[in-house]
Amino acid sequence: MTGADPPEHDPAHCREMFSHLSEYLDRELDEIACRQIERHLRHCDACRACCATLARTVALCQGMPPHAVPGDMAVRLREAIEKLRAGDRPAPAPHSD
Amino acid sequence: MAQPQDSKRRINDKDAPLIEAINAGDTDRFYELVQRYQQPLFNFGLRICGQAADAEDMVQDTFLNVFRYLKTFRFESQFKNWLYRIAMSVCIKRRRRSKYAPERELSLEDFLPGDEQVAAEAPAWAREPLDRLLDEELTRRIEDAILALPETYRPVLVLRDLEGFSTEETAQILNLTPGNVKVRLHRARLFIREQLKEYFAHDRSRPA
Repeated sequence: MTGADPPEHDPAHCREMFSHLSEYLDRELDEIACRQIERHLRHCDACRACCATLARTVALCQGMPPHAVPGDMAVRLREAIEKLRAGDRPAPAPHSD
Repeated sequence: MAQPQDSKRRINDKDAPLIEAINAGDTDRFYELVQRYQQPLFNFGLRICGQAADAEDMVQDTFLNVFRYLKTFRFESQFKNWLYRIAMSVCIKRRRRSKYAPERELSLEDFLPGDEQVAAEAPAWAREPLDRLLDEELTRRIEDAILALPETYRPVLVLRDLEGFSTEETAQILNLTPGNVKVRLHRARLFIREQLKEYFAHDRSRPA
């Protein structure tokens, strides 16, 4: 992003701001870049609506409930691990009697 | 005084004491690791593969690999990040063995706001309280939208927005640059947003 102050509705400027909206929402931009985007959003209805719906999209994804693990998955997993562990162990010593 | 290379690189990890115990011979405690991570890993698999059976296979292959190679883990990254890196490589191997939708590029141009009239206020679905919005139907729609994402973008979105990894961690897990993660994440989010816009404009059964 440049430090200059281009006309707010210049399509190239709009595209530039639009391309950084996720970084803006994730607070990954420096202060100057944030201020530039905020200034743009105040004047550009399209980007403002996009930013609001993008923020909501992120919040919805973050709020997705987890799925329960299938009840018997742990049993099958334990069996597979035990099989592997058995393969790792040295063969039992032959009977001494 | 210069520190030994190993201690300089070693990072704080809540899993470290458990891993050290397992590697010291207390292999029964491996199940504590399984207990800790089986649910998030299953969810990750489900978001990436779409099928519970595939997700379960992925979880099993991942833990078997972790069991085999835990002794090689050097605490140079969080164990969790290493685990997801293994999970991701299991997903990639499995994907090569099956048919998947063709990969395609998501272009930023496809998502740029058009010249149409835009209301000064954001649409209702961007303002409604989240807990009133995210019902079963919407959850399913978001899951479908995530599965409709091209393969290049899906793991980035799942790791960042559903699993809560940072940009740097996601880059490490997927072997990408942080810049690449940011570009893919933005396009993936815009893709999901388009699906949600459609849903709220046409399919939502009650007003949002």
